[in-house]
Amino acid sequence: MSLHDLLIAPFSYEFMRRGLLSAMLLGVSGGLLGCVLVLRRLALMGDALSHSLLPGVAAAWLLFGTSTVALFFGGLIAGLLTALGSALLSRLTRIKEDAAFGSLFIVFFGAGVALTSRLPTRLNLADFLFGNVLGVSAGDLWLALAVSGVTAAVFVVFYRSILLETFDPVFHRATGGRGGLVHMGFLTLTVLNLVAAMQTMGIVLALGLFLLPAVSAYLWCDRFISMLMLSIGLALLGSAVGIVLSFHAGLASGAAIVLCLGLIFIISALFSPRYGAVRSLWRGGVR
Amino acid sequence: MDPSGQNIVLFRAATVRYGRLTALRDITLEIPCGSSTAILGRNGAGKSTLLRAVLGWQPLTSGEIRIGDAHPQHARPRLAYVPQRHAIDWDFPITVRGVVEQGRYPSLRLFRRMGQADIDQVDGAMQELGISDIAHRQIRMLSGGQQQRAFLARALAQGGDIFLLDEPFAGLDLFAAEELTHILRNWEAQGRTVLAAVHDPAVARHCFTRGVLLDTGLVASGPIADVLSPANVDRAYRREHCMHESRARPAAGEDAQG
Repeated sequence: MSLHDLLIAPFSYEFMRRGLLSAMLLGVSGGLLGCVLVLRRLALMGDALSHSLLPGVAAAWLLFGTSTVALFFGGLIAGLLTALGSALLSRLTRIKEDAAFGSLFIVFFGAGVALTSRLPTRLNLADFLFGNVLGVSAGDLWLALAVSGVTAAVFVVFYRSILLETFDPVFHRATGGRGGLVHMGFLTLTVLNLVAAMQTMGIVLALGLFLLPAVSAYLWCDRFISMLMLSIGLALLGSAVGIVLSFHAGLASGAAIVLCLGLIFIISALFSPRYGAVRSLWRGGVR
Repeated sequence: MDPSGQNIVLFRAATVRYGRLTALRDITLEIPCGSSTAILGRNGAGKSTLLRAVLGWQPLTSGEIRIGDAHPQHARPRLAYVPQRHAIDWDFPITVRGVVEQGRYPSLRLFRRMGQADIDQVDGAMQELGISDIAHRQIRMLSGGQQQRAFLARALAQGGDIFLLDEPFAGLDLFAAEELTHILRNWEAQGRTVLAAVHDPAVARHCFTRGVLLDTGLVASGPIADVLSPANVDRAYRREHCMHESRARPAAGEDAQG
């Protein structure tokens, strides 16, 4: 197989171009968001949040069909209900936030599975969960562009607030920062990105595009800004290679992207010169 | 600064309740600026609540706090806050310089980059605390004393004159604690105001000139030796059996110390 067949030929197909573009756009915003998720220890919450989108998306599908806008708002509402609901539950009852989130998201997910079993065709659940690059429409692409642009703009404009709130929320508040606002804005951005990534990645695998580049970058960087940049870079690399891989190997696009990013992550975790496992073992022991 | 006695942190009947729990009860108190004051008391006695109230982000249920002649929220540029060590994620990808630069963030508007004046202030703060040569180290790679100095430098870089420290001695080894004592005494000699929550009376006696002893209510305030008289210490630390209010669990966010 020539280099042309390997790298160029796949993109003679419209759906491949769209899939690549959508994955790379969301790689930029996902790479940024993932850093905050990782540093604020919200990785598992992001996972829960992604699952909870399903009933909203399924309900929108049942009511309005394949409209991108309807799917988007369905997912957004379900995600925000879960986030706000668990925040409320943890404040008003003795349940802690992780248990509240865990309970609510699984109820939402169950409702989503129930709803999708009522969908006219059988195929759809797998598409929702794991993505289908064949289905990326022009509307999905515009959505990805908008969400990615908004996310990147928020990070540029509010960089200092995001850094303070992530690193030292008490100091941020003590200096007049609006911690709650930053947090809610951040959750909203996460939901936006998850919904936008649904078509290419699926709601379950989308989080991989956010988390894996960030946690890999975390293993290499000693500055917040370089972690953000490397995370974006790795997300772009992983989604491009993953899309090509999915074409040649006949894999689901989301899974292929996550596998590529997973490889980067494992290499980083083992061999990062400063924070990798090999170095840690080499120097005698677990820290 | 006004030397006539106007320049004080003033509490007038300040009370904070979390639901049914009273965290601070009817505190009336003057803390003169230009001195170092330890805020003492048991766990749950209201030390952290008092600091947060001075910072202006713990609303009072009743009473008032004035800093100079301003409400705490309007006195923010004068205030610099140093959090507890255990509140910090030491694995965060940030260098010493990155931490100190954060001191300038509150005074920078959106879209404005750090100017030369900001950079000078950051350099000056790092120089004063002797951490210029480790400016590019990640914060995990520092000794406990260096970590503490990085956060003190951030507070200096803020450019305020009132420093609020939450348990600055917690988790420091002997050498680092001695170093911190030295720094805080120096700050006092330069006319800076230090207000620190301290749970160990022995440390407070050694390092601070004034004290405020709390037991949700005010037990005593004034020169540290008077505040920590045996009778006062006994009242504040050892009469749990007859204080129904101290039976309640510590307020949310009140720190475990130990």
